[in-house]
Amino acid sequence: MTEGEGLMRRVPFVELVGAELEEMREGYGRLALIVEEKHTNPNGVMHGGVATALMDSAAAIALGALRGEAARQDSPHATVEMNASLIAAVRPGEKIVIEGRVLSLRRSVAFCESEVRRDSDGDLLAKGRFTFVLRSRSG
Amino acid sequence: MQLIGAREEEWREGYVRLALTLESKHTNPHGVVHGGVLTTLMDEAIGGVIASVRGLEEMGIAPHSTVAMNVSFLGSARAGDEILIEARVLKVGRSIAFGEAEVRKRGSDAVIAKGGLTFSIRQRRG
Repeated sequence: MTEGEGLMRRVPFVELVGAELEEMREGYGRLALIVEEKHTNPNGVMHGGVATALMDSAAAIALGALRGEAARQDSPHATVEMNASLIAAVRPGEKIVIEGRVLSLRRSVAFCESEVRRDSDGDLLAKGRFTFVLRSRSG
Repeated sequence: MQLIGAREEEWREGYVRLALTLESKHTNPHGVVHGGVLTTLMDEAIGGVIASVRGLEEMGIAPHSTVAMNVSFLGSARAGDEILIEARVLKVGRSIAFGEAEVRKRGSDAVIAKGGLTFSIRQRRG
């Protein structure tokens, strides 16, 4: 089992959505998803909530990989604010790639960003910005 | 932008860079650059970069204006520091455009602020 597979087992919601972890290294995480009917809204395109959920996860994975397991256990990070630009529609059958990156990691706060791109042509479909708080379990 | 005193260093299709040497008039009571200076310049730079893609003629027919902005303040800068504001286009559509900007101190890789802005493109009436 790779480190990535271990991490994915602890993100039940990402499993529910059906995304796969493709890469995880310090400050970087990449998920992939083949969009299905179950991911769509009444317009027949991918629901924006799928994009925001996976961008959030990709950012959190990038941050977790940078902080390391011990730091993550000691003071888990949690999203406190997000902002997403939904730039283009995604249809069932298309594969999307979600990349998360850490912009800045400080003692009690971290800033990350994520992008969703269509795998076939690399077009930017969504962009998100995430603020995480690092909360110490002790005290 | 004249009030703030920033200058345009580079302006080409899809990329705009502004520069500003910070003075005490740009600071807040803590002595660091006021966030409003950074948001104003990011807005200005992204508005400019979207103009560089759309062209002045199209802008005359349908001006674009900011409808949403979201900024993360990652670091700080003080009077005497020179900051650079770089803006890029994410997407220009028919009625909406997305851009983003990063602020750094000259000569440093560290991003001190990052913003994502949304612009509405509105046809003039008549």
